[in-house]
Amino acid sequence: MAEAKQTLVPGLSEAEAIERAKGGDAHSFAALYAMHKRRVYSLCLRMTGNTADAEDLTQEAFLQLYRKIGTFRGESAFSTWLHRMSVNVVLMRLRKKGLPEVSLEEMLEPQEDGPRKDVGGRDNVLAGALDRVNLERVIDGLPPGYRMIFVLHDIEGYEHNEIAEMMDCSIGNSKSQLHKARMKLRELLKQEKAGGELNGIRP
Amino acid sequence: MTCSELQQVLPFIIESGGTAEEQAHLRECPSCASLVADLSYIAAQARSLLPMQEDPDPSVWEKIESRLKTEGLVTPGTPPDTDSVS
Repeated sequence: MAEAKQTLVPGLSEAEAIERAKGGDAHSFAALYAMHKRRVYSLCLRMTGNTADAEDLTQEAFLQLYRKIGTFRGESAFSTWLHRMSVNVVLMRLRKKGLPEVSLEEMLEPQEDGPRKDVGGRDNVLAGALDRVNLERVIDGLPPGYRMIFVLHDIEGYEHNEIAEMMDCSIGNSKSQLHKARMKLRELLKQEKAGGELNGIRP
Repeated sequence: MTCSELQQVLPFIIESGGTAEEQAHLRECPSCASLVADLSYIAAQARSLLPMQEDPDPSVWEKIESRLKTEGLVTPGTPPDTDSVS
């Protein structure tokens, strides 16, 4: 995460800013915000799909960070620690909104649907049928738990060990949930493709 | 190897390519092969979606700054340097 290590405030490294922020130094709070705001906001925006909610959640994530910074001991990377808070803030909000979410238990259940449902040979493969706009749209249609893991791993580029730490789950759970997210995306993309081929005849 | 057995290890096949036995099944089974192709394709396409490169509105920091003061988290005498974050 090269961007997170960037020093946007001259003369103040991340490690120095963390130490000074623990003592309530206002410049250091501002410096840490400047270093990490884009990645936190990006995650919130991908998860909520709208700027008002994403800004609200970014604010909440940083406030949590500042309230708890005294407990940061450097066991994990600071950016991972901050993202763990952001992930929690986002998931809490989505739970409050009552959106359907995939629990850790659910994701460990055996898959109900497999490839046998859509046997169809070469015509049925997605390759070439997918553009960025399509993909972004179907990602928005994923349940929040799936979306979070997919965004963190496949888009934001976090490793499973980092995600496990952020989501407070095992590495195996992280891998399993990512797989289910991709399976769900495939299903949504196939539905979309089928709808497109009917050329608007479907309601 | 059956389709069902192969499905149990799909995440590992996507990640590492799979064993010789799994590869053999994929060569013989168009259904499983298309599934693996699709999932790999989705992962590859997702990697081309870069993290968003937008900054939050400057008002976000202003609100944080105000809350920091209200909650007494900032040491008095060190006003936040708003120029450095906008």
